[in-house]
Amino acid sequence: MPLFRRRRSLKKKAPPSNAAPPDRRLEEVRHTDMSGRLEEVVRVINGLLGDNDDFVMRELRIFGRHPAVIFYYSNMVDQAGINSDVLKALMYPPPQFREEAAPRGRLKEVILCDALHHTEVKLESDLASLVEGVLRGQAVIAVDGIDEAYVVNTRSILKRSIDTPATEQVIRGPREGFIELLGTNLSLIRYRLQTCDLRIKSMELGRRTQSKVAICYLEGVVSPDLVKEVNRRLSQVDIDAVLDSGYLEQYIEDNHYSPFPQVQYTERPDKVVANLLEGRVAIMVDGSPLALLVPTVFNQFYQTVEDYTERFLLMSAIRLARLVALVFSLIFPSLYVSIISFNPELIPTEFAVAVAGGRAGVPFPAIVEVLVMEVSMEVLREATIRLPQQVGGALSIVGVLVVGQAAVAAGFASPITVVIIALTTIGSFATPAYNAALALRLLRFPLVIMAGIFGLYGVMIGLILIANHLLSLKSFGVPYLSPLVPGNFQGMKDLIARAPLWWMWRRPSFLFTGDKHRVDESTIDYVQKPSNDVLDPLKFKEDRKER
Amino acid sequence: MAEARQITTIQAAAILISTIIGVGVLPLPLFAVHAAESGAPFITFISALVAMASLVLVSVLGMRFPSQTIGQYSETIIGKWPGRIGSIMVIAFFAILTSLAAREFGEVVITAVLPRTPLEVTVTVMLLLAAISTRNNITTFAYIHFFYFPLLLGPALLITVLALKNADTINLLPIWGNGNIGIKGTIDGILTIASLFQSAFVLAIVIPSMRRPNRALRASIWGMVISGGLYVTIVLATVSVFGSEEIKNLLWPTLELAKATSLPANVLERLDAAFLAVWVTAVFTTLFSTYFFTVTELGNLFHLKDHKMLSFFLLPIVFLVAMLPQNILQMYEVIRNIGQMGLIITIGYPAFLLIIAWVRGKRGDRT
Repeated sequence: MPLFRRRRSLKKKAPPSNAAPPDRRLEEVRHTDMSGRLEEVVRVINGLLGDNDDFVMRELRIFGRHPAVIFYYSNMVDQAGINSDVLKALMYPPPQFREEAAPRGRLKEVILCDALHHTEVKLESDLASLVEGVLRGQAVIAVDGIDEAYVVNTRSILKRSIDTPATEQVIRGPREGFIELLGTNLSLIRYRLQTCDLRIKSMELGRRTQSKVAICYLEGVVSPDLVKEVNRRLSQVDIDAVLDSGYLEQYIEDNHYSPFPQVQYTERPDKVVANLLEGRVAIMVDGSPLALLVPTVFNQFYQTVEDYTERFLLMSAIRLARLVALVFSLIFPSLYVSIISFNPELIPTEFAVAVAGGRAGVPFPAIVEVLVMEVSMEVLREATIRLPQQVGGALSIVGVLVVGQAAVAAGFASPITVVIIALTTIGSFATPAYNAALALRLLRFPLVIMAGIFGLYGVMIGLILIANHLLSLKSFGVPYLSPLVPGNFQGMKDLIARAPLWWMWRRPSFLFTGDKHRVDESTIDYVQKPSNDVLDPLKFKEDRKER
Repeated sequence: MAEARQITTIQAAAILISTIIGVGVLPLPLFAVHAAESGAPFITFISALVAMASLVLVSVLGMRFPSQTIGQYSETIIGKWPGRIGSIMVIAFFAILTSLAAREFGEVVITAVLPRTPLEVTVTVMLLLAAISTRNNITTFAYIHFFYFPLLLGPALLITVLALKNADTINLLPIWGNGNIGIKGTIDGILTIASLFQSAFVLAIVIPSMRRPNRALRASIWGMVISGGLYVTIVLATVSVFGSEEIKNLLWPTLELAKATSLPANVLERLDAAFLAVWVTAVFTTLFSTYFFTVTELGNLFHLKDHKMLSFFLLPIVFLVAMLPQNILQMYEVIRNIGQMGLIITIGYPAFLLIIAWVRGKRGDRT
């Protein structure tokens, strides 16, 4: 156990301090079996947890004769369940043992098989595991004379209800979003994927938080090497706390210094399922409503669920619009700066005159103007997120209308600059993935500066640098711009336009999936056949005459 | 090696195309017109055939030694030290090619769009861009070329199509040229134009990473057909618009062609600045190839595990070489001379290697 070893070496090197490493006292009792003497167990557990006021230790007598103790955290358990299914069931002997008492030798078995009215019960003898059970919200019942204790899963944590996902809303598609509780999230996935191929493996990460992390994949679809690598990367993470899946993302991504996200997150179960079906692996963390999907390629960041649920022709056009918005948000301001300050001859003369007229009263060079406006726009956007909802709407009106209008009137910015900034900002909102939009949004600042120094030449240099970076990025070995580079024509059906579903009958080839076919050939044939006109009016001519 | 073999035939062809299309396209019609006046397109075609010889030799050699780069098999063929001397010559030549291309484009930029920027800055920027990108492996190298090559063909074809509005076929006649220029001048021109293709020699380090090295010849033919076709098209368009006598007065006729055209409906009034901006990618891919060749081959020569360190180490040297020519006229003088001498390296040297390999019966392990 690496955790344990490191602690030992710390003890040797570091001078003794008051800050004990996490759970040191718990480690002292690890691998110590409970001896069957009740006082011993009570002493240990009470010593570790007894300082807390929400800790409950209740003594009882099993079947009215054998002394026992039940431990739990009062706020983490289902009290009513403990009362009826555990306490009541243990205090009264079961009907078959009313007449004659259960023999002492078979007591352990009788309690488990005849008395306890609960599905999730297991026997544990390791004292440390018992304490951990209590910490997790389970109830531990120790009986005098039995060398193992019963750990009953009575955990009941308050949770919010399943809601529409706040950040990924769709017009057409399921309305459910993940919540914080891992179990509920897994159930949302399982009921969409009712197959025995769905595998959910869990591990505990975070030394102090002991957060449950679940790795989900479809056996037979996913590449086994990918699952192995995800497991390997996750098991390397030995950190204090995993408070959200975002913490894990930063440890398992390939390039830590890139502005571009290499892991996709989503709060939509249907999206997770769709990705599992493509051969990806999903990572979920208890306490986080966001699932991580690996490996991720760039085109996922401008795809939405609706692309697949609506008609393909229209959604292809809309996806194209989204792509344009993405490009806008990156290069529009820098193009503006370079054309205005270096190559005004490019744009038609009438327009150039209009732009110059608008800029007549502005004392600053275009780059300063654009940078100031862009920065204030970022400030405004950040302020709108932080403000209470009731004030937010008012502020955005003040920001957009008043500041924009007043800046022009005051001769601080030209009207065309305001148009450019507005288009850029709106463009960055059209990108479905917040993290990708953020990357492009911030990269436009260096581009504006390059445009101010070198004009169009500088913009191109900047774009080449960004493109080269994207081309060198990888997510779990998958080139980031797949399927565009390296060219895969099958995959390009889902790149810019979205082809009909039966055209994309293969799973993405860059994921090297086991089962390659998504659509059966007979279905493809069926779709291409002429449709059967059941209610063709010509057929019913005879009927009508008769009538 | 198994996992490094990732480059497909299409990608190899893309590498060749985007490597060949570079800053040389800008003065190309001038060189061609100097060689044969109205016969310029035909001369360009002939030059492409000459350049083809180099590529064929390299691919045949590469297919003979499918898992080695030129530096490695030259040592097998002609012995350790002669092979190393040959490699050093090739590496030095490619370093010079890099610096000359950077210098040439630097001149174009300061003349056409940034007249108040010092030449040193534009050259340094281009070289830095290439150097940063060479810190990748050969797979990424192929990806980068594959990503950019449609971006090179697009604008060049767009400009030639738009220019046809002003074209006049009389400028192209007679197809064989007027015969005013002696045979010496014509051959000189053919060699100069052929030298514009020679950065395609980079194929020599691409073959060992190809998924199927035996398709190298196919890739080089495709690369040559597309890039040679583009060269001929551009010369055709330029000559038919300006006429050969006018072109002799223009330094970069292709750029002038972009200046003379405008998009329909006047979306952009002049295309030269936009064309030049897009052409940054073309120049970048050429520089990237030649510099990548220099750096990786030098790394192989010294048996370095990693060529990354060299990419910045060599940069000052390349920059100094780029700054050597005194002015733009001298620079073109140097480019012609170096280019023609380079043909000895890019055609003569592989031919020599191939003959020796035949004679000595050497061949690499077939995988």
